[in-house]
Amino acid sequence: MSIEAEVPHEPGKAREFFRSVTKDVSWIAEAPKPHKLWLLALTVAIAMFGWGLFCIYKLVMTGIGVWGNSNTVCWAWDITNFVWWIGIGHAGTLISAVLYLTRQHWRVSINRSAEAMTIFAVMAAGLFPLLHTGRPWFAWWMIPIPNDMGSMWPQFRSPLMWDVFAVSTYMTTSILFWYMGMVPDLATFRDRCANQGKNIRAAIYGVVSLGWRGSARQWHRYERAYLILAGLATPLVFSVHSVVSFDFATSQLPGWHTTIFPPYFVAGAIFSGFAMVLTLLLPLRYLFNLQHIIKQEHIHAMCRIMLGTGMMVGLAYGSEFFIAWYSGNPFEQFTFVSRAFGPFWWAYFLMVGNNVLIPQFFWFKWVRDNNILIWALCICINIGMWFERFVIIATSLARSFLPSAWSYYHPTRYDVGVFVGTIGMFLMLFLLFFRFLPVVAISEVKGAAPEAHAGGPSKGGHH
Amino acid sequence: MSALTKSLHPDEKIKAGKLGQKMTMAGVGIAVVFLGLSILLGATHGDNWKRFLYAYVTGWSYIASIAIGMLWLVMLHHLTRSRWSTVVRRIAEAMTGAFPLIWLAGLGFILPVALGYKDLYYWAHPDAHNAALNPTIVHKAGWLSPGFFALRYVIYGMVYSGLSWYFASTSRKQDVTGDPALSTQMRVVSGPGMILYGFTTCFLAWDVLMSLAPKWYSTIYGVIYWGSGNIAAFAALGLIVLWIQRNGRLTHSINEEHYHDIGKWMFSFTFFWAYVQFSQFMLQWYGNMPEETNWYKYRMFGEWQWISIAMLACYWAFPFVFLMSRWTKRIVPSLVFFAVWQLVFHWLDMYWNAMPSYDWLVASHGGASIVQGPLAGNIALHHVGFTALDITVWLGLIGVFLAGTGRGLRDNLIPVKDPTLGLSLAHEVM
Amino acid sequence: MSTETHIEEPALPAQGELYGYLAEYDTPGELVEAARKVRDAGYTDFDCYSPFPVHGIDPAMGIKRTILPLVIFGGGFSGALGGLLLQWYCNAHAWTWNISGKPTWSIPANIPIAYECAILLSVFTTFFGMWAFNKLPQVWHPLFRLDRFTRVTDDGFFLGIEARDRRFDADKTKTLLQEAGAIALEPCYYDPDPKTRMMPKWITAFIVASTAFALIPFAIAAKARNSHSAEPHWHIFPDMDFQPKAKSDTANDLFPDGRTNRGEIAGTVARGWLENDDVLYHGLENGQWTTGFPKTHRDGTPFVVDAKLLARGQSRFNIYCTPCHGYDGRGQGMIPERVKALGGVWQARNLVEAPQADGKGGVVIQMPNGQLFNTISNGYNTMQGYAAQIPADDRWAIVSYVRALERAQNASTDDVPADQKGAVQ
Repeated sequence: MSIEAEVPHEPGKAREFFRSVTKDVSWIAEAPKPHKLWLLALTVAIAMFGWGLFCIYKLVMTGIGVWGNSNTVCWAWDITNFVWWIGIGHAGTLISAVLYLTRQHWRVSINRSAEAMTIFAVMAAGLFPLLHTGRPWFAWWMIPIPNDMGSMWPQFRSPLMWDVFAVSTYMTTSILFWYMGMVPDLATFRDRCANQGKNIRAAIYGVVSLGWRGSARQWHRYERAYLILAGLATPLVFSVHSVVSFDFATSQLPGWHTTIFPPYFVAGAIFSGFAMVLTLLLPLRYLFNLQHIIKQEHIHAMCRIMLGTGMMVGLAYGSEFFIAWYSGNPFEQFTFVSRAFGPFWWAYFLMVGNNVLIPQFFWFKWVRDNNILIWALCICINIGMWFERFVIIATSLARSFLPSAWSYYHPTRYDVGVFVGTIGMFLMLFLLFFRFLPVVAISEVKGAAPEAHAGGPSKGGHH
Repeated sequence: MSALTKSLHPDEKIKAGKLGQKMTMAGVGIAVVFLGLSILLGATHGDNWKRFLYAYVTGWSYIASIAIGMLWLVMLHHLTRSRWSTVVRRIAEAMTGAFPLIWLAGLGFILPVALGYKDLYYWAHPDAHNAALNPTIVHKAGWLSPGFFALRYVIYGMVYSGLSWYFASTSRKQDVTGDPALSTQMRVVSGPGMILYGFTTCFLAWDVLMSLAPKWYSTIYGVIYWGSGNIAAFAALGLIVLWIQRNGRLTHSINEEHYHDIGKWMFSFTFFWAYVQFSQFMLQWYGNMPEETNWYKYRMFGEWQWISIAMLACYWAFPFVFLMSRWTKRIVPSLVFFAVWQLVFHWLDMYWNAMPSYDWLVASHGGASIVQGPLAGNIALHHVGFTALDITVWLGLIGVFLAGTGRGLRDNLIPVKDPTLGLSLAHEVM
Repeated sequence: MSTETHIEEPALPAQGELYGYLAEYDTPGELVEAARKVRDAGYTDFDCYSPFPVHGIDPAMGIKRTILPLVIFGGGFSGALGGLLLQWYCNAHAWTWNISGKPTWSIPANIPIAYECAILLSVFTTFFGMWAFNKLPQVWHPLFRLDRFTRVTDDGFFLGIEARDRRFDADKTKTLLQEAGAIALEPCYYDPDPKTRMMPKWITAFIVASTAFALIPFAIAAKARNSHSAEPHWHIFPDMDFQPKAKSDTANDLFPDGRTNRGEIAGTVARGWLENDDVLYHGLENGQWTTGFPKTHRDGTPFVVDAKLLARGQSRFNIYCTPCHGYDGRGQGMIPERVKALGGVWQARNLVEAPQADGKGGVVIQMPNGQLFNTISNGYNTMQGYAAQIPADDRWAIVSYVRALERAQNASTDDVPADQKGAVQ
């Protein structure tokens, strides 16, 4: 972004720019007919979601036995998918909150869609802990409400209860943050619909935009609140994935019990989340002509972040291995050797290959300029991060302390079906979001552009 | 009303002049006086220099962590093209310039270990290699051996000194040529530099501090050391910047906006330290495995619990609550108070990490009296045992750090031809 | 800056009270300058409107920093406290339950949830506090009556001075706004209908209706709590209440005897329970009480009478036999002692009594090993059988120990080995 560029000073020039930003984003929601490819993608997503719903129906009505989980590998795809989805959600918060706090202005082009991604990913994630209990209709037992069962209360010393609180707080915060950021843009939609005579739409957008009128006194409090929400979301996002890592690390199981887990999970979450952001945005950017808002340099920045977080994940893999040896604990050593060379060796090498080796491509500028290649690499990273969680969960369980209980894990079609279903749900919601809501933070893009300083004492001079 | 970018104030004094020399002289003076005093105290302590060396490891970890933190700031600055930090970058570079001297000073405890001193690191003690008593130490005897240990120490020093030299010298080259390509070059180097830095810092912490209790292990340990060091590094940066301004330099370029950012980083790392420290504690407390909880056992009970409580209250809770406010970071005297406060408690953190390993148990094993090492035996026999030595060694090593930093404070105190300087000068915190 | 200002004629047919003047500026920078001028002129009831937060407008307008952060701090603090209190109440007070030996009130394990509660309440305070301070939602506002104002969310930069400002003067205000470089200026009136200054009716109706609707489940629940029904309750999820299986002690058409329970098939022996070694399990050898010992243990290892076996026998004997027979086997254990203390007369059998010259007494000493084993297993007179408590191997160990005891209790100096006789005498 060229902040030092000549600031336009001709009358009307700046306003022309602001109008163009409004129009570039609003037309997606205003277009009378959706794009054909969008319709096709939505159909596929709904079909996947439908299949997932059927599998969930079978699962709930029959029991966990339809999954491949066993006494030995008692957590498998369910918790793998949960951690994977939650991790994907974290990039949204990182982009909207952490990059905001560190003043990375390039975030404005993608933060809205990344936040939407967070919410949908957390919804998908939340399904799995709920389903894996086997009797999801007792989920209310996790909420501390007075009841008639002899004053039975949740057991708060369990990391699984921490999960409930962390994930639901995260969900709530993400929704409020997303919505609050969207209010000025919903007001833009309101005013545009009113001007175009679409009164019903204008009324709906009018109600959800709460009567926003862009007053400086309102903006002042709004900006403070936004900053504080960002400041709250940042420690929250750290805590959520740390709590998820506590699910494993508080146990004594070799391969689960290691102190690096909290920051390592957070880094991995950001890594996989950025991969998912790009997986979604690269095609949609072409479909909806957003190239001049989501610029190539923004994609560059995301590639660099993936490279960096990929390295952090690699550092954590290395640390784990080293400390497993350093500890002198034979069980730890066995688990790590078994991970890499045991029956799940293929999963381990998929994980290392996709998470540590694949991001190395991002060192090269020609890779960062080739969007099709980036997209393919991001898919690899998504797969690699899924396998990271699978490796942690399945290999540790399959070869734990009791050799007589050792086992292998085979997924069933219901494992696959529920997972595919959540992907379908995620894509469906994201596609709907892209069609009906402001997909780019219009007001933030305007505020971050050089034109936002037009007419002011912008050049040189000391005060 | 503010502008996006500013140029350097015409009256600004950006040349260091004799400032660096002054600091070096002061540093050398402090180092000579206090280290001399420490040697006297250490010799008369009557424990074959053990207390002296423990205090030395504590103080050395302290100054090393500050330089390590600043190296991180420099590389992060390049990686993210930060704006606020351009005006203080030269000073941060000067602080990383202390690496060679710090590593030279570190020989004060590395050389004895390499030459066969056996009372500092228990793994260097012959009794540690009793396979029945310490199977896990025997297991890693190759890694924790004086020779390899010293070799790794040299490698760490070369990595840090090399990185800091590269960034400082390239930055100065830009002062002359004004070539914006140098910024890009530094950015490209920062990527791999950061990875090298990450590995080096983890291993440094595992070697120097964690191996004081050689049977205990924690993967997150290096991250905690780094996070804690960054609190002190930003505090030290704030104080040195203020000192330079009090000496009439950079008075126009650095203002409360930049102090605010320094304060923000201090606050962030105060939080981060609590986060990683809690992660380590909680996982080991919850997992409840004897080889892990042992480390905390001697810190949670007995005399050391008071130090642990002091850390929680003073290193985290108090500064955390007050640094939340915008004003504590913008009003310079208040920022100075918190900077000094955190610098003192960062020392306590290092002390808390190293010193509980000081008391070694000597007990009979298999019929013979054997040194069973740190963190063993009756908790009541483990004393905090503050000595004047602990403080004098620390102050002496701070002198070493200042002497090293002063060397870097020469010529321009601000990267005058950095392309982002204008933005940094005009920086404003919302 | 444009010099000609276009002044709109009142566009609305029916005008109410004047709300104020709205001026439009070309760029954000000009808006900031205008705001500074208006503020310097002493106005307080004015506001700027823009599509994004304009940099530097707060000091230009003289906006004081909001106290919102302080309120949020309070929210977060009470969240943390509330979270801790909740956990204390649930796990340390109302429902104390031992979880892996951790204290019921264990702070480290309570921190994550207290932390999440602190964040949650801070977020709520931020979100709702901000809207409350901003007096939003307010979907009815006189400015929305101006067509021009729809551009405030697009490309419009406006400054509005309200008529209620004490310095407001139609002409002077207009001039001030124009001199500040307005490209358009327009008066804004309230709707003549005073009702429109309040929330539109349909919104009120919607809120009332949805609130009422939301209360329906509670009403149903309240009714259910106070009424009785003979109908079985709904099983939306059967919870394995109705499983296709036969439960014990129920009628069953499948079998001729009409019962679910099936008896054992005659002659069934559980694995490892054949017990076909007569000596080991019954003390019989060729139909007679054996005088020796079994050849093997239950697990097939050879049966050797050695110090280990005697030690085992001693420990079993001390556990099971001493209450009646006493440690020395003379029948004066704790129970006979107690009987004596209560004034009764009863003694257990003296196991070590030597036979008298007339052949009377010494019953146990004269018993074959097999009979002794059988007595331990099945009891004798008031003595119960111990087969259920003591495995056969151990019963034989007791037999061996009793034999040793008999010998020891009747020993003479002749039994002492020659080389140790001196020590005994």
